[in-house]
Amino acid sequence: MFVLILALAVGVLAGLLLRIGVPAPLITYLGVAILAALDSCLGGVRAALERTFSDRVFVFGFISNTLMAAFIVFVGERIGVRELYLAAVVAFGVRLFNNLGIVRRLMFQRRGWE
Amino acid sequence: MIIVFGILGLMVAVAFNTTRLTAADVSSRTGDLAAVVAEMETQREELTVQVAAQREELQQLERSAATAAGEQESFGAEVELTRESAGLTDVAGPGVVVTLTDAKVVPPGEDGNRYIIHDFDISAMVNALLAGGAEAVDVNGQRVVATTAIRCAGTTILVNQTRLGAPYVVTAIGDAQKLTTAVQEDLVAGELLGAYRLQYGLDVKLEKKSNLSVPAYTGGLRPQYVSPVEGE
Repeated sequence: MFVLILALAVGVLAGLLLRIGVPAPLITYLGVAILAALDSCLGGVRAALERTFSDRVFVFGFISNTLMAAFIVFVGERIGVRELYLAAVVAFGVRLFNNLGIVRRLMFQRRGWE
Repeated sequence: MIIVFGILGLMVAVAFNTTRLTAADVSSRTGDLAAVVAEMETQREELTVQVAAQREELQQLERSAATAAGEQESFGAEVELTRESAGLTDVAGPGVVVTLTDAKVVPPGEDGNRYIIHDFDISAMVNALLAGGAEAVDVNGQRVVATTAIRCAGTTILVNQTRLGAPYVVTAIGDAQKLTTAVQEDLVAGELLGAYRLQYGLDVKLEKKSNLSVPAYTGGLRPQYVSPVEGE
């Protein structure tokens, strides 16, 4: 778990130091992709705690979630329903908290706090 | 999994960079451009003063040259006449003053653009006055010369590249009666005085005056591309 937080910190640091950004119109894509990635990562932690973690499922889920999220934003912009990205935001948001709740319970159980 | 978490962190940082950089970029750019415009305008003021001084000097030199060589008196007079008709001298005489002001109120739900004075209104007015035989015209102190452009720049109107704001005062020297008739009969300028004024509440006034003054053109006049055609 500690290693994961460290990896996250290294990523953030690298991004800040590199000072790279995306063109302003694409910020929605990145935002939704981040939510998707966040969801995948939390899902991965949950799977690890449930002892059902699989490298392939995780990496593939991460990539496909991110791409699908970006695709939804793209389609929304093309068909004039720019707010379609909200669908992705809501879906990932709900799953995020769902997963967070499960992870929390699993961790509590493991430590015998419950 | 570690790599994926790293990627997630990277994405978050990139998003952070993007929002921060764009926000900072926009505000600083607006400030920069405003500063550039202000600086350029001061520079132009200074240069205008210089041009005026040098023109004065040139005029004196021309005069002294003309009087030194007595026979060239006619040349001096011709130079003077050319300067006058080119708009390089302050002039005075009878004529009309047209004041154009935006409407005071825009009724709710109406297109505000119809209730303000536009660049094309000014240029129609200037055209009508020139057509009526105006010998010198200025808009808010900007002398209309051969190279004058009247155009729109945001909420202001540019005449001789100088920003003007309402009310716009167009002064024309010429036969007051002829000028008035020319404006009234002009398709656009006449409407400004008549129908538009009544319909939209634009404040357009035309006054005949017996003694008006129109300032000299103060901008640069150095031709870069034109040259006289030889052999006449």
